[in-house]
Amino acid sequence: MANNKAFGVINSAANYIRVEGLHDYRPIGAFSFLGRFRVIDFPISNMSNSGFDRIHVYLNSRPRSIVEHIGDGRHYNINSKRGNLQLLFTQNNGASSIYNTDINAYLENLEQIERMPQDYVVVAPSYMVYKQDYQKLLDEHISSGTDITLLYHKVDQAKEYFRACNVVNLNKQKGVESIERNMGTAKDKNISMDTYVMSKELFIELIKKAKKESSGYSLANMIALACNTLDVRGYQHKGFFAAITSLDDYYRANMELLDYATSMDFFKPDWQFYTKTTDACPTQYFHGASVKHSMVCNAGLIEGTVENSIIGRNVHIGKGAVVKNSIILSYTNIGDGVQIENAVIDKWATVKKVKRVASDSVTPAYVKRNDIL
Amino acid sequence: MAQTNMLAMILAGGRGSRLHELTNKVAKPAVAYGGKYRIIDFPLSNCANSGIDIVGVLTQYESVLLNSYVAAGGRWGLDTKDSGVFVLTPREKADSGLDVYRGTADAISQNIDFVDAYDPEYLLILSGDHIYKMNYDKMLDFHKANGADATIAVRSVPMKEASRFGIMNTDDERRIVEFEEKPAKPKSNLASMGIYIFNWKTMRKLLVEDMKNAESSHDFGNDIIPKMIDSGKKLYAYEFSGYWKDVGTIDSLWEANMDLLDSNNALNLDDTTWKIYTEDTGVIPQYIAESAKIDCAYINQGAHIGGEVSRSVIFTNVKIAPGAKVIDSVLMPGVIVEEGATVTRALVAGNTRIGKNAVVGNKKSEDILLVAKNVKGED
Repeated sequence: MANNKAFGVINSAANYIRVEGLHDYRPIGAFSFLGRFRVIDFPISNMSNSGFDRIHVYLNSRPRSIVEHIGDGRHYNINSKRGNLQLLFTQNNGASSIYNTDINAYLENLEQIERMPQDYVVVAPSYMVYKQDYQKLLDEHISSGTDITLLYHKVDQAKEYFRACNVVNLNKQKGVESIERNMGTAKDKNISMDTYVMSKELFIELIKKAKKESSGYSLANMIALACNTLDVRGYQHKGFFAAITSLDDYYRANMELLDYATSMDFFKPDWQFYTKTTDACPTQYFHGASVKHSMVCNAGLIEGTVENSIIGRNVHIGKGAVVKNSIILSYTNIGDGVQIENAVIDKWATVKKVKRVASDSVTPAYVKRNDIL
Repeated sequence: MAQTNMLAMILAGGRGSRLHELTNKVAKPAVAYGGKYRIIDFPLSNCANSGIDIVGVLTQYESVLLNSYVAAGGRWGLDTKDSGVFVLTPREKADSGLDVYRGTADAISQNIDFVDAYDPEYLLILSGDHIYKMNYDKMLDFHKANGADATIAVRSVPMKEASRFGIMNTDDERRIVEFEEKPAKPKSNLASMGIYIFNWKTMRKLLVEDMKNAESSHDFGNDIIPKMIDSGKKLYAYEFSGYWKDVGTIDSLWEANMDLLDSNNALNLDDTTWKIYTEDTGVIPQYIAESAKIDCAYINQGAHIGGEVSRSVIFTNVKIAPGAKVIDSVLMPGVIVEEGATVTRALVAGNTRIGKNAVVGNKKSEDILLVAKNVKGED
């Protein structure tokens, strides 16, 4: 769609966000989600479906998997001539360095930002999963005449989850009074979805100003500061929302979508989430297999029992194997008779000799990528 | 990609009238198969995997869907600077009126200008309605090694069925000495697969002559091949022994789908070194509900299974409600089976709805039932 008033920016997770296990191999945006998607498919699809055709995707550490996955963006329905899905790299700093901030990434690519012909920007994170029409958000932002519009979600599990997220404190008119880190002090909180709408001019101003405040500041820090001087307004998001900020959050987000009603409300034909196809063939269910309350991706060979689980692509579940309450990522082999319960098994792993992988706590067990157990 | 200097033309104009309602609105090459594919994905993917860059697809009968489907060459990776999939429908020309393609050879003759534009050394002729995996580059090696004018792919069929096919009689070196269409007394069991490699320069001359011949039926099998043999040209038979199906009838289409239930089936769709590419949709994985019972099935992403499925092939976006049963059946994309309905030994066409408690098909029937219209439910 042409002539949109805003360009999109897809931002990576802050340097203090760390997801145990999975994060050792790829940025959160590249995490497999619900078997066939990657987390970054959601923000990009939201932007594409909202009619945005100029999108900046910021990559910092270990960009290979994301670069490979996004490619030229054609599978996201972005016109490859008029539109442009730009991958922007930052040269410096490790993932967890205090200097690895979104502001530093923006500064390194300031020329690209300044060159955007659009008057507005929508910034969205690559580590959250939700559905939002950004065009609607932009229209709302413009008609309200506010400086910054921020997307938030009301949650009732802020003690156990969303721990690395920010909390927004709102006044009655939805004005944002302050933004602070979620310390898990109460269960009901308004979680910031790290999604902002503002003019391109203000965006650039905040980036430049941040440098003078602190080299360790993020855009979220700058917006928290701006609450004192600018009109920052909250916009409530409804529907499925997940922030992939810990292994618990990742696990819960996947499991929540096993609920059919939640899933059907989230995945609708009029708002598709695009991903890169691997041209995997359908899945083979053998005689003796038993699968219940699960999502199963293509090219699987299912001989055993699967309950309450998510099975990625090209996964083999052996004879007599039992997989319960687990997330099995692609190209994994679960050997005959092996039991997996309450676990996340990373890509290309084989569980064969160890006959039981399970966790009794809320936090799932984790099996490393490429591991042979 | 390796430059094979071979251009492929896929004949995709056929109706496939024995597929009844399945081909009322689409040509046979566009018919769905194997949970997620269309039949024409096979020759197109084979071309892409064999390193062929330019593919012409000759369409005629009910071609709207097929034309738009194959025109998106990116699905098979055939959309680079030097590659492409081109839809070739009959067209009006300066020196003649709008002619339909009168036969397989005529379809190529009418597009000589297209082939000339790429000036290939070899021309590969394929059919758009066969299910198989084949490396055409290997066939080209065979063609070159023999210094042949034409190479025809053949497969061994049981001798007692040979009279149903176009049979190639060869000498010890596989040189074709005679071609017999459906011989009453077959001398060989090597059946033509309708896959030909020609040297373009030679074929071009033959096609130009054939166009002027009022007696000709303008068909490769009936006219061009016999003429080549008679005039002493070198034709060789290239034997293919892999999985190959011409799904001409409802029974054979059902059967070809059922073949996939055997995980050791020879088509081996999960071979990642020779993938069959197809269109992709932004659907969720297969959703298998608490109430589901699956015993021996081949299921594609986007299917929602709430009921019982046994020995069946389930395509994209099929919904089987809790309490429904699907047995020995093939459910094409978007089929809905409502609560309590039972589908047995049936092939259900895309987007058909089987209503509540309806009973469709029969365990004992010899033929497979084609269901192409919604079936009303009963409360």
